[in-house]
Amino acid sequence: MRNDLELDAIIEDYLLGKLSAQEIEAFEKLRLNDAAIDHKVVSHKFFMQFIESYAAQSNLKEKLNHIHNEIDVETLASSLRPHSSKIVQIWRKNKSLIAVAASFIVLSLVSIYSIQHTSQQVDRYLQLGKKVDNIEKSQSNLIRNIKSNNVKVPTKVSPTNFGGTGFAISANGYILTNLHVINKADSIYIQNSKGDSFKVKTVYTDSQNDIAILKISDPNFTSLASLPYTIKSSTTDIGENVYTLGYPKDDAVLGDGYISSKNGFSGDTTQYQISIPVNPGNSGGPLLDNNGNLVGIISGKETKVEGAAFAIKSKYILDAMRAIPQDSLGKKITANKKSMLAGLKRTQQIQKLQNYVFMIKVYHD
Amino acid sequence: MSKRLNSSFPTDREVVLGILNNSEDVLNKLYKAYFAMVLQFILNNNGNEDDAKDVYQEGIIILYNKIKAGDFELSSKLKTYIYSVCRRIWLKKLAHNSKKAGNITDYEDVFVVEEDVEEHQEKDLQFVKMQTALDHLGEPCKTIIQDFYIHSLSMQDICEKFGYTNTDNAKTQKYKCLQRLKKIFFQP
Repeated sequence: MRNDLELDAIIEDYLLGKLSAQEIEAFEKLRLNDAAIDHKVVSHKFFMQFIESYAAQSNLKEKLNHIHNEIDVETLASSLRPHSSKIVQIWRKNKSLIAVAASFIVLSLVSIYSIQHTSQQVDRYLQLGKKVDNIEKSQSNLIRNIKSNNVKVPTKVSPTNFGGTGFAISANGYILTNLHVINKADSIYIQNSKGDSFKVKTVYTDSQNDIAILKISDPNFTSLASLPYTIKSSTTDIGENVYTLGYPKDDAVLGDGYISSKNGFSGDTTQYQISIPVNPGNSGGPLLDNNGNLVGIISGKETKVEGAAFAIKSKYILDAMRAIPQDSLGKKITANKKSMLAGLKRTQQIQKLQNYVFMIKVYHD
Repeated sequence: MSKRLNSSFPTDREVVLGILNNSEDVLNKLYKAYFAMVLQFILNNNGNEDDAKDVYQEGIIILYNKIKAGDFELSSKLKTYIYSVCRRIWLKKLAHNSKKAGNITDYEDVFVVEEDVEEHQEKDLQFVKMQTALDHLGEPCKTIIQDFYIHSLSMQDICEKFGYTNTDNAKTQKYKCLQRLKKIFFQP
């Protein structure tokens, strides 16, 4: 026992480096010779290290306890404790859940709203009469007024309230257009591609098919050359290339496309659906195929649907022509039998065609 | 009080350098800076102030040792690290006491610190064993060992404190105590 204690003392001194050089040498020899002593040294070393880290930790703990005592835990805790009120507690705990639920409700409301909205959109049909004209004119007038503020220029302009397109259906001055273009008009003028204006009067309207026939009543008007196009009595097949010439602006504009469906808006059998970009002002324009046959009248398009425009089938033009009371006519109007456009290039066709397509100007007042 | 606590947040760099330099002041600041955060977490998750103290101190010790060991990289905010460690410790405690830990209310970001906590708790188990061994040792051995090894008193001081006639007697007594401690400690 006594020996063990001494040994322990020596080992500790050895590990702490307190031994003299001679003693170290002697002890290391002893260690080499006696495995039991060596083992003791190693285990003691580890134990000391362990005690050291234990000491470090308990010292640290003591320090922390000391710091902890400086904190007023009571007041801190009372401010951080879960709220006594159940509702506040539920809110705090389920914040994210409530947020998710709320956003889901908002989302579903939005989607229900938009579904309703889109189903409303299906029923929107836009007639392509040109109402914008008035605004544009009054705007340019305004600019002119400002620029020439002190000069007393402004000649009185009676603005066109409404505009569209029309085309001749006979050489003696019968013009066909959409009824919605000239509806409620006080006076109607047409203007040809050269810029000449003629006064016209309405001789026939068909509200069911949206067709109106006008007659040029201007004394300056002589007559047109014979019509270059024929009016087709049979229906045209899907895929037929067609084009239209119209006045969505002050110059004639070509629209090119094809017949995309046999029936029109909501299955309307009196119309074709066509894929031609059309705009307000195109209403009443002629729809022709490549052989110069008149196959329809541009009448409208579907809003919110890309590339869906509608044209009244040409068969109804012939019906309308036949329905004009014959005795009111000075001369009978007959449909042209032979197309002069067949076999011509598109540019040549249009050159001929444009003399027979008119801008319709409608004044309400 | 809490206002003062919040206003004295040390920067993360400050803390790491301070701990490496054994700065008591920094330790003090660090401790006070984040205690409220952990207290809030524990209080709102089935714990009381004492639980908070234990968990928080354990967390601080883990951080302290990690910094001391030199393998703490400031890749994340210190605050997040402390929170994550304390959270992990508390969840383990809750599971251990088979208390309900289903819906944990979190107040901070969390990242994975399982390894650090595991490592620490293994070590801590040994320390607890040492503590019980010391408690078993009885007086005056316990105090002698504690004074010498933990409070680093000199043999001379101990000699005077316990009224030994000379340091050799005290030394002999200390070795005896140490031997007994080893025996108790290594008992299976």
